[in-house]
Amino acid sequence: MNESAQAVPWLTRLSVERPGWVIAGTLAITLLFLTQFPRVQTDTDPKNMLPVTSTVRVSNDEVERWFALHKDVMVLGIVNDEGIFTQETLERIARITHTILKIPGVVVRDVTSLTTTDNVLAEDGQLVVRPAVAEIPRTPAAMVALKQTLLSNPLFVDRLLSKDGTTTAIYVPLEGGANATVIADRIKEVLAKEEGRERYYLAGDPVARDTFGVQMFYQMAILSPIAGLVMFVVLWWMFRSLTLVLAVMGVAMVSIIWSTGLLIGLGYPIHIMSSMSPIFLMAIATDSIHIFNEFGFRLREVRDKREAVLDTIAAVGGPVLYSDLATAIGFVALVTVAIVPVKIFGLLVGFGTLIILLMSFTLVPALLMLLNEERLLQETRSTDAAPSAWLSHLGEFSVRHPKSIGLAGCVLLVMAGVGLSRIEANNNLVHWFKPESDIRTADRVMNARLGGTATAYLVIQGSTEDVMKTPAMLHDIEGLQRELEKDPRVGKTFSVVDYVKRINRVLHQDDSAYDRIPDSVTEIAQDLFLFGMAAKPSDLDNVVDYPFQKANIFLQLKSWDAGVMADLLRRAEVYLRAHPLTGGATLRPAGIAYFNLVWNDEVLWGMLRSFLAGLVLVLILVIIQLRSLLWGILAFLPLFCTIAVIYGVVGLVGKDFDMPVAVLSTLSLGMAIDFAIHFVNRFRHHYAIEPDLEKALRWTVVRPGRGIVQNAVLFAVAFSVMVFASLTPYITVGVFIIGIMLLSAVLTLVGLPALIMIFHTRLPLSSEEMTR
Amino acid sequence: MKTWIVFCATVSLIGMATVGQPSAAVAVDATEIVQKSQAVFFEAGQDLKARIKMTLTTRDGQQRLRELTMLRNNYPAGEQKYFLYFHSPADVSGTTFMVYKYPNREDDRWLFIPALNLVQRVAARDSRSSFVGSDFSYEDVSGRDIEADTHRVVRTEALGSRQTVVIESVPTREADYAKKLSWIDQTTFLPLKDEYYDIQGALYKIFTADEIRDVQGWPTATRRTMTNVKTGHKTEVVYETVVYNVGLGDDIFTERALRRPPEKWLR
Repeated sequence: MNESAQAVPWLTRLSVERPGWVIAGTLAITLLFLTQFPRVQTDTDPKNMLPVTSTVRVSNDEVERWFALHKDVMVLGIVNDEGIFTQETLERIARITHTILKIPGVVVRDVTSLTTTDNVLAEDGQLVVRPAVAEIPRTPAAMVALKQTLLSNPLFVDRLLSKDGTTTAIYVPLEGGANATVIADRIKEVLAKEEGRERYYLAGDPVARDTFGVQMFYQMAILSPIAGLVMFVVLWWMFRSLTLVLAVMGVAMVSIIWSTGLLIGLGYPIHIMSSMSPIFLMAIATDSIHIFNEFGFRLREVRDKREAVLDTIAAVGGPVLYSDLATAIGFVALVTVAIVPVKIFGLLVGFGTLIILLMSFTLVPALLMLLNEERLLQETRSTDAAPSAWLSHLGEFSVRHPKSIGLAGCVLLVMAGVGLSRIEANNNLVHWFKPESDIRTADRVMNARLGGTATAYLVIQGSTEDVMKTPAMLHDIEGLQRELEKDPRVGKTFSVVDYVKRINRVLHQDDSAYDRIPDSVTEIAQDLFLFGMAAKPSDLDNVVDYPFQKANIFLQLKSWDAGVMADLLRRAEVYLRAHPLTGGATLRPAGIAYFNLVWNDEVLWGMLRSFLAGLVLVLILVIIQLRSLLWGILAFLPLFCTIAVIYGVVGLVGKDFDMPVAVLSTLSLGMAIDFAIHFVNRFRHHYAIEPDLEKALRWTVVRPGRGIVQNAVLFAVAFSVMVFASLTPYITVGVFIIGIMLLSAVLTLVGLPALIMIFHTRLPLSSEEMTR
Repeated sequence: MKTWIVFCATVSLIGMATVGQPSAAVAVDATEIVQKSQAVFFEAGQDLKARIKMTLTTRDGQQRLRELTMLRNNYPAGEQKYFLYFHSPADVSGTTFMVYKYPNREDDRWLFIPALNLVQRVAARDSRSSFVGSDFSYEDVSGRDIEADTHRVVRTEALGSRQTVVIESVPTREADYAKKLSWIDQTTFLPLKDEYYDIQGALYKIFTADEIRDVQGWPTATRRTMTNVKTGHKTEVVYETVVYNVGLGDDIFTERALRRPPEKWLR
């Protein structure tokens, strides 16, 4: 006992001597952090992952100012399979448009629908400017004429109207700071009052983004407690002791409250990523299960509670310390990512992990001291036998077939390598919703019928003023548009060229021969001037800037995949190399689809880099802790294999490496190494006492192995709750965590004994090397 | 209360009538005040010739300049004819625009496009649309039918050094505003400020008469600004020269003149 007492830190000794004080003190500090909670602020906008000052946001803002564009635009699709050109449907479109205009937060002047957008056309020798649907035709003939007129205007087709005349769209720009969910709900109320055969689809980035934000907190608020409850039940089934269960849960709660309280206290908002921290900390807190597992064994051996606690901490203190440190390092490595919310998330969970570590040496021993010794002895005995038999078979198998296991491992790694080579980094906000969800359905339908719900801009920056009035430049732009339209995922492009061509045609009695760019600068200039006199000035402002030096090509894309934008930029680059722009003009991408591409690169690759950095740091930490390069590498291998296999599967099944998967990698890093650290440390400790390789391995698989299995199962069961979430990122997190935990437990318990058997001649195993 | 305000406004306006301003007269209700105001603002003199500089400024401070000569003649029964000749921007120089304005029915408009040597009739059903890309609508430039709104006096108040009567106009026909407040000078009847409110009840456009000069006895807003408070875009109109009663003949307001504008009126 004296020996053990010396081997444990003074804090633990204090906790064993004065458990009441420690528990009271912990509670007091927890309450202190709890007082910060009412000040909580949330930020659900994934855009804010990049700071307002980031290059892409500054650049996008600038482009939006140049061309008077709106940051956030919602799209309402109205579908009538029999065609929208019926009195009833047109009246409905007019009524819905009018009601939408009244919703606060909607930019009244720029709501674009068939009843608000001007059509410029030639009629009876006159140039006519009037809303596309100014009056609803009363006769079938007039209806047919209207349909023909609108479908013959390329400015409308695929943007406001589908080619088959069954679908129209209302574009609803939002004022800065307006909440898209609130506005979407108002629009849905409006739609609910309409009776008829029409179907309605609400899509667009702001809807997806704000809906996700709301859903996310909602899901976290429901799923975290359920996961907690499931853990509670599983823990009780494992230990049959309310105090033990409460201890694990208490550690989790304390770390969640301290870290979140600190975050709120420092004035940071809870972001998408930070909102996941409770469930992560709950998972990490299960590490203390190793203490309880070992305590159960010790108590039966020494039959003295106080001694058992000190012995336990002396035995598992090292592994607990280093495994928690490794976990913390994995998260703190996120600080290297240039993105503030990711840094905060990393620090938040890292801090929480250190709190868990502190609790393992203070609160946990203190709580153990409060246990009823007699009852505990009875309880622990009753749940003892079964898993041990199972584990000893497993240990036997690992020790008997090291070469086969090693070979299987190699095959697994090769297969994982194939998967890894196929992995694609891509973040698609719409895919964060389930396939049958309203948002994804809307997106699918609108993309099938119209030009596309994702918007990007390509800004052509000329070297001189008025260059956008020259035929040469307009031909360049037109050429680029046709080139980009070759990609089937580009549903629509339009630019100043389309307006010039339209005016030119209208001024020539709607003669289709004049549906082209005029040959002289003055003609173009006067066409544009006329357009400015006739139509809404902002229509022109959207595509060309005031000095006519910059032009803006609108792209409507049928997919939110970042890859589409990347492909388009490559296509544009190749095309422009062969067809350089007049006067050395340059191209600059902007818009939400481009933002997603940059976000994708910066956030995902940033997280990937920090993950690799974390891997190296963990390897170094393990080498230092085990004081041996080879031991370090061996302990690192199960983690490495787990990660390779998990991401190999991600690649093989074609799942994108998106934000949730990126976050997971960090967690897997910390968790998967835990098992190996426990395993190797306990094995070496035992081998030093009883230097028989096979026996020591079997013992390790059975005894600390039991803690490992318990930890993995507990973890997996708790996270299985997330499979029932309605947002796909949570489902992904749930499925992958289950996979990571079970796989790393198996790889540790099967792989490590095999590896130790294979390499034992080169491993420093002698007792003098092992003792500290 | 409302009657009392109207009474006060009326009394003060009757008082002003004796000062002998060209257009001051007895006004008994809001509609009549608006009518007076429109008469001074859009119909002063028998005819008018003005050299106008219009500056369009974006929120960012980018500018577009339009210089034009405006000729206007009044006809019986409230009809008017406008002739506009654009001097700049250079590439549209020579573009001309003619409007026959009729009370309570659609205007007739013609445009001459020199690059195409084409006179084009323009059926702009919509007089609320922007005037040459500016923040002013056609209605802001040539006036809106009195009957298209119901008017009421809201209050009288001082605006700077001027006493004004504030009139609220709510459209009964199509309009791009849901409500308009006008501050009308009690002495000159010139509108000194207009506020336009949109369908959500939010202020979006403000008109101000920034400089008022006496031109041949007619008080004339020689500098005026329309600011879109929502977009930050604004348009300033400066009358660099303005002369009334120059003796414009009807021959100027013809298709022939659109193609070959009479030199002497453009200088």
